[in-house]
Formats: sequence, structure tokens, C-alpha cells
Amino acid sequence: MGDDYPTLFRSEQMSLMQFLIPTEVAHDTVAELGELGNVQFKDLNPAVNPFQRSFVGEIRRTEEMTRRVRFFESQIQKEKDVVPIRPLYDSAPLLTVGPSAAHNIDELDVTLAEHEKRLVQMNDSYKTLSERTRELVEARHVLRETAVFFEKAETQHTDIRTSFDDSSAPLLQHDDREQQYSSTVQFDLEFIAGTIDRTRISTFERVLWRVLRGNLYMNHTDITEPFVDPATGTETRKNVFIIFAHGDALLAKIRKVAESMGATLYPIDANADKRSDSLREVTARLEDLETVLYNTGLNRRSKLLKIGENLARWQDVVRKEKAIYETMNLFNFDVRRKTLVAEGWVPTRDLTMIQLALRHATEASGTSVVPILHELRTSKTPPTFTRTNKFTEGFQTIMDAYGIATYQEVNPGLFAIVTFPFLFAVMFGDIGHGLIIFFAALYMIYQEKKWARQELDEILGQFFYGRYIILLMGTFSVYTGLMYNDIFSKSLHIWHSGWDFLEPGSNGVSYAVSNGHMYPFGVDPAWHGADNGLVFTNSYKMKMSIVLGVIHMTFALCLQLPNHIKFKRPLDIYANFIPQMIFLQSIFGYLVVCILYKWSIDWSTRDTEPPSLLNMLIAMLLSPGKVDANAQLYPGQSFIQVVLLLLAVVCVPWMLCMKPYFQWKEIQMIQGQGYVGLSHHNGGHRESTDEVLEGEEEGNGRVIVEEMEEEHEQHDFSEVVIHQIIHTIEFCLGCISHTASYLRLWALSLAHAQLSEVLWSMTIEKFLGMSGIFGTIILAIVVVFWFSATVFILCIMEGLSAFLHALRLHWVEANSKHYQGEGYLFTPLSFAKLDEKE
Amino acid sequence: MASVIPIIFILAVVLGLIACGYLFVPKGPHQTTIRTAIMLTFASCYLMWMVTYMAQLHPLISKS
Repeated sequence: MGDDYPTLFRSEQMSLMQFLIPTEVAHDTVAELGELGNVQFKDLNPAVNPFQRSFVGEIRRTEEMTRRVRFFESQIQKEKDVVPIRPLYDSAPLLTVGPSAAHNIDELDVTLAEHEKRLVQMNDSYKTLSERTRELVEARHVLRETAVFFEKAETQHTDIRTSFDDSSAPLLQHDDREQQYSSTVQFDLEFIAGTIDRTRISTFERVLWRVLRGNLYMNHTDITEPFVDPATGTETRKNVFIIFAHGDALLAKIRKVAESMGATLYPIDANADKRSDSLREVTARLEDLETVLYNTGLNRRSKLLKIGENLARWQDVVRKEKAIYETMNLFNFDVRRKTLVAEGWVPTRDLTMIQLALRHATEASGTSVVPILHELRTSKTPPTFTRTNKFTEGFQTIMDAYGIATYQEVNPGLFAIVTFPFLFAVMFGDIGHGLIIFFAALYMIYQEKKWARQELDEILGQFFYGRYIILLMGTFSVYTGLMYNDIFSKSLHIWHSGWDFLEPGSNGVSYAVSNGHMYPFGVDPAWHGADNGLVFTNSYKMKMSIVLGVIHMTFALCLQLPNHIKFKRPLDIYANFIPQMIFLQSIFGYLVVCILYKWSIDWSTRDTEPPSLLNMLIAMLLSPGKVDANAQLYPGQSFIQVVLLLLAVVCVPWMLCMKPYFQWKEIQMIQGQGYVGLSHHNGGHRESTDEVLEGEEEGNGRVIVEEMEEEHEQHDFSEVVIHQIIHTIEFCLGCISHTASYLRLWALSLAHAQLSEVLWSMTIEKFLGMSGIFGTIILAIVVVFWFSATVFILCIMEGLSAFLHALRLHWVEANSKHYQGEGYLFTPLSFAKLDEKE
Repeated sequence: MASVIPIIFILAVVLGLIACGYLFVPKGPHQTTIRTAIMLTFASCYLMWMVTYMAQLHPLISKS
């Protein structure tokens, strides 16, 4: 290319390089190349199952470490009080290359495993302790409630007597006997106490009644506070129940039923003293447990804090290691020589950088064996790599979203830097709104460094990514606002107007007379507020859209030329480019010329009425050669129009037939020569590599360039013909539809201007006349409303709309004229990009 | 009366500016980008100005 600087005009030239890396240096080399971010490695083992690749063991280990790191991260996030994670740029680096690297990684592995074990232990014990706490709390409730039962029973023993049948007789007797004793009532009757879910209590009762045939007495109360399950956070409400029955068989049945219904049984003593003893014991144990729980919590938190200090660093190291081993799995392991063979795409410009990196890696690792690098010649299509900086990145991305450019094709992203904001501005033209978005973009650029580090949420992140696009959009909008003479729907009156207004006539309408002066820059402010202002503006904007549109399409069409020249396709120039250009210009270029010509004539000095250009164009196509003398634009018009129409008509078969004809002739020529091509068949890509390795045995460090097999184009003739037919139809019909499509420039700018005017007249204008304190306050409120509506509706909504339409114009109307877009993106191994992928 | 002479004059000026943009941008990694941007900006701004100017040269309707 003969230049020493990368340009945005075409994608970079790429070379396929082969690396021969000794195994000892392999890890460090890949780490170094990953830091550089310039090599896209090819998969040399496509047929190998991922579980059979050479570095599966290491990957498994890094996967374990990743899992542990992720576990820590989730634990930290679950903490209610935020545990600070020290950010990566603040942490001390961990050496992953060099002689100590392996030791560091092993140490990291051990540390991670240990942390995990401790954390899991703590979590488990916390859980068990919580369980025990819960049980004890339930037991306490049970004790309390049963105490209440017994006390109640003591005072209501007559009721009990009548509600029990024979088997409970001893109760009554005991009851009588125990009357003279102290307040504690002793039941000789066996009972079972416990807790059960509130939702199940009625079923429980019914089942028990049926099973025991009514030989029981059951009482239950609610426990007021719900129990919160610490793991899931769900609340369960429980009831305490106490069941009195007599006989071991019955009790056994009750126990079984209780267990099956999910109730928890607690051993309660009949003796009240013993009960109060157990209550005290339970309370004491509860307190102990609470303390232990609290301490465990504290311990866990301190552990997490310590982990938080190192977490970012560990994540980084683990991610890089995984990427390195995955890349190394793509290499071909030559067992004989203990080297790894790697192939990758590298921008040719960066070759020296790569060599330096390789040398640096070997120095760092301490060995003396340098990896060997040499270039392979191949006919495979390299990936498309366009070097962008933070300014051009946004523009390139929006054009790439349509399709990645074919390798070394002319890059529309370069031109989009200006044409995209310009076409946006034509649809958005307003000085005030332009300034608003300009300052918004300026603010984002000012905060660039800080925001780039933060995690921005999706929408804000999108706006931040396109901050330079928005900046340019704002600038051009200010310019087009000056052109349209529109600032927040008012006009600026900077120079002398070209119109003088007369006194209003009898019908209250005042006319303006042109005073011969031209408003030098933009639309004359006298049009603002005029009744027929819209008539003029519409005509002006529509014609401007057509002019700009045809010029944009012509420009895009001309971008075909560098492509045809670079890829040595002279046939395409004559068979595609020239007829397309003639077709476009003879109809729509002529229209543009007519527009400009009609504007440049002073119609008041001519006898004929100014003809409608649209009708003229339609007449040119439908009835060529017939131009009414009253409605002609210039003498000789009918003749010229016929000539142009004939030119356009000739272009269609030209486009259809020329290229297929010449390609057919080529096929005939090849067939005539016989299949000479096959004898030079060089075998597959793989075999050549082995030849290279064998070549290495003779001499070291030779740069070997070999010819790879030429991939034959599909010379299926019918395909060529069909392709050309589609191409021709698409272009011809597309010309008309795309030209009309550019009218959206008019439509959106009209909508914007009208919206802006409506907003002003409906809000502020109505309240400008009010005076006094009250009026001022109302005015202030209305101004705030007006401003927020301006920002949200006019700037953001209309802005997004104009953005979309400008983008569509670039993608469909312009790109269809020259863009192939069949490339694939260059995705190098880059540790910096790993960060973004997360 | 307003005429087309200013248009042609400004066209000459803009063409001159475009040529300057092409010639005087220093060599560097961004030369193409800056050049293209400057040239395209001048061209498109001139176009729009020219169209606006011409539309008002000989107005077909008078205002009311």
C-alpha cells in the first residue's frame, strides 16, 4: 500500500502467521500476545472433541477456580450490608508469567479452595444453628402454651369431666385428689405436645378423630409470630397443639399421625415445676445459641471482607488463565519436537510488535528458546480489521451493524463520520435543540474517564458509547438550524431581510414586497409567521432533499470505483459502474439540474409559467418528446429529454448482458484450454504445514512462503445470469424508490419544526401576557414544563427518530450502491476485551 | 437584483478550502480521517447553503 499509517478507508492488511512455540514458553507467550490483543488464532484441531484436547486438565482446574470465585462473589452480594470489593486498578498485580507463575497459580488454587471450605463450613454451621434456634423457639412456645392449657384445665375441670368418656376417668379422679395440693396440677394422663403448620391443623384434628374414634382431647393455639426460614425467607405460621389420650397404642397412633402430617413433637413433662425448669433451660440455651450465631455471623463477615480485598484480582487472573488455556487448546502439539504450532491472523502492520512481544515473553520466562514466526500465503479470506480510536469507534460500529465490510473493501464508516450527522441535522435543524444535545454530549465527553470505568446501565451506556456521534450531530444541527433560521421555533433576524411588509389591505392581510436584497445566510426571517410560509418551506425542503439525496447516492456509487480498481475487476467498471452512473444521472441527475436551473431563473421576466418539475419528469417518462411550449423550462427541452431517456433505456440491457457475456466467454476459454488447473493441485492446507516443518530441519529461521491452492470461483453460468438480473432490477427500481425515500429529510424536518412551534404557542405564548407576581410564577412553571417537553419530546424522541432515519438512509440507500459487506470481524485474543465480554 | 454570482464566488472559496484541507493536514495516523471529515464538511455545508440561497433568489410566491 505504500503508506506508513493505518487509514479508515479500507480495513487493514492481514497476514496469516505461523508460530512455532516451545512448550516451556507457551503459556507466557500466549499471555503476552493476549495482553497485546493483536492475534486471532485459528483452530488447528477442529475435529477434536473438547474433552480430548491437550490442556483439558488445566482448563478444568481454572474452571474450578472460576466457580469458587463466582461463589465468593455471590456470597458477597447476598450480604445485606455491602462488602466492598477493591477494584482491579487498585489491587496489587499477581504475576502469572515468568518462572514463579506456576507456583503463584498453585498457591492461588490452594487459597481459593481453603477459603471456600471455610466459607461453606461457616454457612453450614450458621444454618444448623438457625435450625436449632428455631426448634428451641418452638419448644419455648410449646412450653408456654401448655402451661396455659394446664392452668386453664385446673380451673375448668368440670368442663373436662363432661367432655371426656370412660378412658379419661382417671383424670377426674386424680383431679379430685390433687385438689388439696399446691397450685400445680398433675395429670396422670399421657399427652403429646408439639407444633404444626397452621394450614394443616384442621386436617390433623379430623384425621386424629377418625383414627382414634374420638378417644382424645385436643387443644391448640396460634403462635403469633411467624417463623422465617433463613435460607428462603418464607414465613410459616405454626400452631401449638396438645393432645390428651390414654393408652400406649393410642399414643403410638397419635405419634405416627403427627409425624406423617409434618408436626414436630416436643417432650413436655406433666409436672409444672419440671415444665418451668425446662422453660428456663430452653431460654438459657436460646441465649447461648443467639450469641454463637452472632459470633458466627461476625466471623463470616470478616472473612468476606478479606475476600473482597482480593476478589477482583483473582477474577482477573482466573479469567486470563482460562483464556490462555483455551487458546492453547487451539494449537497443534507436535510431540516429536515438543513445540506447539499455532496459526493466527495478524495485521501486517503489527508484525514487529508481535515479534517484540514474543521476545519479551521468552525473556520474562527465563528460557533462551525464542518462538519462531513466519508467514503463510493463503487464499483464504482474512478477517476485517479496522483500527478505530475512541472517536471513530462509534461511527464504525453503527456502519458495522449493517454488515462487516469485505476484506479491504472501501469502508463506509469513514464517510459516515460527516454524512451521518449531516443528514441527521437536516432532519433536526434547530439551533436551540442542537445546542442542547451538543452540551449533553460535551458533558459526557468531559466525564469520559470516570464513566468508562463504571458499570453504566444499558440506556445510558448506549448514549455514552455514541457521545462523539451526538457531539457532531449537535454541531451540524446548529448549522442547519441557522440555515432553516429556527431557534426554538423562532427566527433570528441577524441580517437585513429581503422583504418589506406593506400596510395591511382591506381584508387585514398584509403583503410583502421583495426589496431586491438577499438574506445571505439561511431562510429569510420574514417567512416566519407568514401565512404561506409553509408553502415556501415545503417546496424548498422537498427540493433540497432530492438534491442532497441524488448527490449522496452518486457519491456512494462512486465508491464502487476504488473497489473495482483494487480487486482488479475492470469488467465491473464497464459492465456495472458506468451504466449505473448513466442511468442514475440521466433521470435523477437531470432532475437535480432542472431544480437548480429553475431556481436560478427570474420567472417574472419570462412569458411562460414556471413548470411543475414533477409533472415534467413524469411527462418525460410517459410521453417522451412532447413538451408543451407553454410549459417548457428551456428551449430544446424535448430533444434533450428524449436523448436522456434513450440513454437510460440503453443502460438496462447493458447492465443485464455485458457482464454475463464476458464471463461466458471466459468460461469458454478455460474449457478450451482443458483442465490445466488440476495438475498444480497442491493438496490441503494441512499438508503444506508439515512440509514447512520438514523444511525446518534443513535450515532454521528461513522465511518460507508457499503457494496455497487457489480456490476456484463458482463458474456456474446460470448463477451469474440470475445474479446479474437481480442486481439490475434492484438497481433500477431502487433508484426511483431511494430518491423518493430521501424525502424523509423533508418530512422529519417539517414535523420537527411544527412540533416545536406548537409547543411554544401552546405553552409559553399563552402566558407571556400575564403580569404581576401571580403571572410571573405561572410563567415560571410553564417555562419549566416547556423546557422539559423540549428535552424529552423534541430532543430525545425526535432525536432518536432522526437518528434512525439517517441511519436507514445510510444503510439502505447509500450502502446498496457499493457495499458488499461479506466479511467477518477480527476477534483477537485480547484480555482487555475479555473484560467487556463479561 | 440578487444573482447567482455569490453562489459561484462562494463555490470557489469552498473549493479552495477543500484543497487546503487536502494539502495541509499533517501526516499521521489520522490523516485520512481528518482530511475526509474536513472535505466532506465543507462540501455538505456549502451544498446546503447553496440550495437555501438559490431557493430564495427568485421567489415564485410572495408572502402574506
